[in-house]
Amino acid sequence: MGNPKPNPRKLSGSKHRDPGHVAKESVRQALLYILLILGSIFTFFPLFWVLSVSLKTRAEANAPQLVWWPPKPHWDAYIQVLKDKDWLTYLGNSVFVSVLAVAGTVVSVAAVAYAFSRIDWPGRNVFFFLMLSTLMLPAQVTLVAQFVIFTKIDWMGTFNPITIPGFFAGSAMYIFLLRQFMMTLPREYDEAAMLDGANHFQIWWRIILPMCRPILATITVFLFVAHWNSLQAPLIYLKRKSMHTLPIGITTMRNPQMVDQPWPMIMAASALTMVPLIIAFFLAQRYVLQSYVLSGTKG
Amino acid sequence: MFRALWNALAKLSDANPKLYTLVWAAATVVFIILTSLAVASLARLITKLFKKNRLYQQRTFGGYLFASPWIVGFLLFVVVPTALSLYWSLTRYELPNPPQWVGLDNYVKLLTSDPDFRVSLLNSLYMTLFGLPLQLVTSLVLALILYQKMRGERIFRIIFYLPVMLASSTAMLTAWRLVFNPNNGILNLVLRGLGKSFRPASWLIRAVVYVGDLAGSLFAGLQRGNLNTLQSTLAQGFPHVGVVPLWHQSPLWSKPALIIIGVWSSGAMMLIYLAALHGIPSEILEAAKVDGASSWQLFRRIMLPLISPATFYNVVIGIITTLQIFEQSYVLSDSGGPAQSQYFVAYYLYRSTFRFNKVGYGAAMSWVLLLILLLFTFFQFRLSNRWVHYD
Repeated sequence: MGNPKPNPRKLSGSKHRDPGHVAKESVRQALLYILLILGSIFTFFPLFWVLSVSLKTRAEANAPQLVWWPPKPHWDAYIQVLKDKDWLTYLGNSVFVSVLAVAGTVVSVAAVAYAFSRIDWPGRNVFFFLMLSTLMLPAQVTLVAQFVIFTKIDWMGTFNPITIPGFFAGSAMYIFLLRQFMMTLPREYDEAAMLDGANHFQIWWRIILPMCRPILATITVFLFVAHWNSLQAPLIYLKRKSMHTLPIGITTMRNPQMVDQPWPMIMAASALTMVPLIIAFFLAQRYVLQSYVLSGTKG
Repeated sequence: MFRALWNALAKLSDANPKLYTLVWAAATVVFIILTSLAVASLARLITKLFKKNRLYQQRTFGGYLFASPWIVGFLLFVVVPTALSLYWSLTRYELPNPPQWVGLDNYVKLLTSDPDFRVSLLNSLYMTLFGLPLQLVTSLVLALILYQKMRGERIFRIIFYLPVMLASSTAMLTAWRLVFNPNNGILNLVLRGLGKSFRPASWLIRAVVYVGDLAGSLFAGLQRGNLNTLQSTLAQGFPHVGVVPLWHQSPLWSKPALIIIGVWSSGAMMLIYLAALHGIPSEILEAAKVDGASSWQLFRRIMLPLISPATFYNVVIGIITTLQIFEQSYVLSDSGGPAQSQYFVAYYLYRSTFRFNKVGYGAAMSWVLLLILLLFTFFQFRLSNRWVHYD
């Protein structure tokens, strides 16, 4: 993809003003912009292609000629998807699973991060270390045994295995992220509230959480994306078609036996599936991008 | 009474699965509150027995109260499953039959006589050795460009980060499958068009395909222990005019296709690098400039060492993510093929445990996966003393 060699740095304080240098400087700037724009085209191309194919007819989409944009774009595929009973079921299931799991996880993560950042209690460091070490544990180690346990307690074929575990603050990464943020808030808030007779629950809910809004938004977006895209756990636990979520639904729309796939409809369904992700990201992008400064290099 | 309640719930799970889960969710919330109160009270009782002062007791109560959801969850969903999985990895276990003790048989079979596992392990290694460095270079180059106070930096940051949100979505991966479609996918149509209309491009495409074929068949040969594919690639000679890579339909090009998708979504690494670059004190760079350092020297001798913790972080996280590739092979391959070229560790584990119900074997595999990760991380940390600089 590129290579890091031609990388002259422009520093804010450099004071070369001769005309030759200025010309060189603007050529360099132009080259960098060309690189960035090429990168953006590469980034957007698959998304553009989803849109383009979803507006084609089935014949156009399967034709062996190159058609960048359908001569007569039409939205039939979208109407077809939105009228499709199966797809609406998948959508309902995905919304249900994501909302429930995200709500449970965010609240519990917020509580645990509060304990790890704003209360001094014996054992805190030990548990914090244990929590961080679960970051290294690949999901597969617990996945296999959880599968057996959930089978034994009759949770197979229900939404429970993909929603309930989240209620126990199941994501160490986000506890860590939120804890890092809470550590930066001044202690005086808690102490003043304590003197006024507030208990931990009130301090947590009324004082600390409102100040954590940006980072809570970030965590909500990350968790939503993870659950909305989740494929493996739903594949394992949701046996009935009426309970499938969108990620499974999309993979079943393509029939491997056919040469001529209903690509416009598949791409329309894909586009509609990705719209919530894109909206969630754009609503919270400011906070999401900032969160990297927080978690960044000290990892 | 308990029995009756349980049966009513079971009926509900068939009739209205969402309501069933909501009932369970409510019960879970009650359970968490009760266990948290119990744990916190127990902790306070212990501090009382040790005659700590009142404030200390209060802090203990509060801390355990708020941390308990995680502590209880850690026991229920991490400690217990991990212990059980260790035990089950030493058994032959196919649900619903009870596990039978077989000792280390699963591990011995995995490490010595399971060609599928070896293939998937080497495929994962391929992604780490070739995919990860490309992602690192791409993200570093993007970060370095955006570091220069370019106008519109924010917009480009958003653009390059967007794929991270979409990368594991089956909707997006299905779109990639369409893009890579060997016959009428847009990528190959463009490549064919370029080859026809522009002679040097045709030579370039053929050369890239030849090199890719050779490298791919050499790797496949090492993986299988025979060089038949390499011999047949050599026998076919330099590719004819109009040849294009067959991407996910060719055992030699399916992994490069996945690498392209990986590079497409390297925005998270870019942000990590960008944060690290902004963390470099500007006085250091100014001083080096005054001393007459060239741009390359500035980058190689000062910036690269100073952002090495970010590289380290990206490498560690990158290895964990590449070992867990699942969605990609589920969507872009038909059951891991062709020729098992998209069998990765996590995918193979899913297949043997959940499709073929070999729970004991899957548990052993997950432990081998964990050991490999720990080993990797251990060596990373050992090596990191040589090249990672913290201040």
